[in-house]
Amino acid sequence: MATSALRTQVSVKYAESLEKLLAADKEKRLNPGLLNYSQALTLASEYLRPYDIKDRAAMMRPRTAFNINDVRTAFAMVHFSHQLPALTEIFLEDMRKSFHLIEYEINAYMTRYEINGCRRLRETKNLELFRMLVSRLHDWFKAWHPPTECASPDSPSQTHTDVIPPSLSSFFSGTYTLSFQTRLFAALPPSFARGFKALASWCLAPEDYPPMVSASGAPIKIDAVWTEFEKLGLIERYESVISSVAYEHIERRIEETCPNNWAVPMLPEIREWMTQKVVPWMLKIFTHGVTSRHDTQSLLTGIGARFDFHVNKVLCDLRIKEIFNIIVDYPDSLGALQDLKETLQRVDQRGDLVKFLRKENNKRLLHPGADTQTILQQYVSTIKCLRIVDPPGVLLYKVANPIRQYLRERPDTIRCIVGSLVGDDESGDSLVDDDEPIQPLQQPESEDYGDLEWNPEPIDAGPEFKTNKPSDVISTLVSIYDSKDLFVKELQVLLAQRLLAIDDNDTARVDKERRNIEILKIRFGDAALQVCAVMLKDMTDSKRTDDHIQGQTPSVVHPTVISHHFWPTLDQSDIVMPGQFQQMQEDYAKQFSVFKPDKKLKWLPHLGTVHLELELQDRTLDVDVPPLEAAFIELFSQKDTWSLEELIKAVGNVDRSAAVKALSTWTNMGVIKEQNENTFVLLEQAEDGAEMREMAPIQAAPSLPPVQTVQQQEAEQMRVHWKFIEGMLTNLGSLSLDRIQTMLRFSPNYDKTAEQLGYFLEAARREGLLVVQNGMWRLNK
Amino acid sequence: MKVKVMHWHAVASWRWDTGKEEEEDEEADICGICRAEFEACCPLCKTPGDDCPLIYGECSHVFHMHCMLKWLERPSSKQQCPMDRREWKVAGSGTK
Repeated sequence: MATSALRTQVSVKYAESLEKLLAADKEKRLNPGLLNYSQALTLASEYLRPYDIKDRAAMMRPRTAFNINDVRTAFAMVHFSHQLPALTEIFLEDMRKSFHLIEYEINAYMTRYEINGCRRLRETKNLELFRMLVSRLHDWFKAWHPPTECASPDSPSQTHTDVIPPSLSSFFSGTYTLSFQTRLFAALPPSFARGFKALASWCLAPEDYPPMVSASGAPIKIDAVWTEFEKLGLIERYESVISSVAYEHIERRIEETCPNNWAVPMLPEIREWMTQKVVPWMLKIFTHGVTSRHDTQSLLTGIGARFDFHVNKVLCDLRIKEIFNIIVDYPDSLGALQDLKETLQRVDQRGDLVKFLRKENNKRLLHPGADTQTILQQYVSTIKCLRIVDPPGVLLYKVANPIRQYLRERPDTIRCIVGSLVGDDESGDSLVDDDEPIQPLQQPESEDYGDLEWNPEPIDAGPEFKTNKPSDVISTLVSIYDSKDLFVKELQVLLAQRLLAIDDNDTARVDKERRNIEILKIRFGDAALQVCAVMLKDMTDSKRTDDHIQGQTPSVVHPTVISHHFWPTLDQSDIVMPGQFQQMQEDYAKQFSVFKPDKKLKWLPHLGTVHLELELQDRTLDVDVPPLEAAFIELFSQKDTWSLEELIKAVGNVDRSAAVKALSTWTNMGVIKEQNENTFVLLEQAEDGAEMREMAPIQAAPSLPPVQTVQQQEAEQMRVHWKFIEGMLTNLGSLSLDRIQTMLRFSPNYDKTAEQLGYFLEAARREGLLVVQNGMWRLNK
Repeated sequence: MKVKVMHWHAVASWRWDTGKEEEEDEEADICGICRAEFEACCPLCKTPGDDCPLIYGECSHVFHMHCMLKWLERPSSKQQCPMDRREWKVAGSGTK
């Protein structure tokens, strides 16, 4: 605005013109008006002029010093002359000029504040400093405020209400506030925001801080603080700061209460806490001066929704970070899963969950150090957990794929799954949930177009996602592999091993196996398990036969008679049982043929166990051993000293390693001793230093009956087919994969696909047996 | 030393007594009609053994009983053995 020089000039000019006018104006009409007007203007602007409230003397000369009626008249005249804008401008200009007072004070306080902050003084002292600053600012504001209806509560005796006409008061006060706030915000240093935030968090949770008292010793009223904030317009300006204070408070609370606390859903508790603590605080801040209930509510819903969203988001993030451990702890962590489910519905973190869980799985689960059983267990838990969190199963689909692929590559997955299907004796906690009703194995069905409840797939499903995935755990496990044939084969092998290990006096175990097979029949279907049914029938039949024959001619031999076609391939062996064993075998076989006229027995002498009683010179031993050991010890009863070769020849060609193992069993028991290299001698009397064995039956290390595993079976088959392939290639030179496949199909027992044949040919090529060129395979010369 | 056998849990597999001695265990004999092993059952049965026995002919050819009976029901069989077309007569209870 105008400088003083210009002012002087203008006033001089004005005085001159006034004189001229006065001189010219004989009637003296203008004079009073003009004079009055300028007086009025001066008076009004003087009245409004901002003053330094620090100055005690000036405090004494506030607006009270002015004659109210004069001021009133002055204002009325100014208003009448439509000079209010000019007055306003004068006032604002004065304010600008005096603003440096405020700035000075602000700087003083803030410097102290910052220094204290650097020196890390006690938090509350600093806060108190800040609060005082805010208080002072408020005082300035109040003091300079043009006298309107809501001005100066500290001088109630004065009635300022009609100094300025009411219609103008809002205009005045609005202009003043705007200008004041603008200058104030420009004057505040950046650290003000920090201080404000600290003060706001104190306001939110004063119990978190040591108690704060003002300089005068009176306790601080939080409400007063907030009123000051509002008057100064700080709330709108720093709204984001306030919100961030609330957010941090929420985060802190959740950090304190929720991690590792999975037993119960935490969300209701947090909401409860929010209602108790945060909402009243919000009410105080944001609904100051808002009187109508409707406005209050609409304000609140907006802000409340934001806070609620934040609660959900923080809780969701926390749970996502813990998701792996939550799955490990299932079913104890149901509460956390509930939380996760609810929060996922409100926030958009599904992608994060999938990504994080996949990463965790890769890092912690799918590596060579993890047991297949553990991986399976975790997979099943994952299925159950993610089904709770996300019923359509989209998340599960995305997370489970890597696990399934990894499991497919592990060779003993099938055995584990089958073992737990049957409910192994070792694992008390099988994967099968016996409470679930047993259903037939579900095949993936095609779309059911007639379904009235159909909904489109969730938006984040991949292209191959099918809504109606199998719903029970076992079907999901079995569907890891494309066909259930592998399972059935593995099942047969497992069952055979277990049945052969049963001592045939033990019908309870046979019944248990039968029950298992019944259950599995429901799942896999009758036809697939026909073979298992035959195996079970063999067990009962052989018991019946044995009973009958024992009735006829008692014998110590109690064989299990099997239908070899229906049992998995058992290792062949050529051993001949010597001495009394041979005799027993023949006797029994004769009896069998009498009982069943058109059948005869073919012994598998390397299978089974023999319970022996050895009478040595000074001791008697009770032992359970495999037949090979029994054969050896029988030989020792004929002669005292044997060499390894003699022994092997006497039992008719057995594997050298097996023989050595058998002999070591006896050596460990102190029955024989290795005298020289490969020569063994019977110890009629216990050696010195050898312990007396107890009378209890000693079990030789039980090994599973040598049933060939599925892999071994396949390897055997391929060897046979290799003969064919070799013959073909010798005769026909070079052949393509398809032609080999076609020709092999004519050979018996060939059930491989072209892909499997390809693998086999590749393997042969790696070993150097074949050479491939342009897709044509040749023998390697 | 005396070795006394208290209890021997052995394992054996049963074979049909078809009169042929098997020294080495080559492929088992198969039924000429259904091309399945004798120790397996015919295609109609589920369990082998006494439920699906063999039938022996005087021409010394052996078949599953069910297979043979089905064959004999067909008019095209003319009551002949399918292997050698001789007139079919059941031969007592197997040769030893």
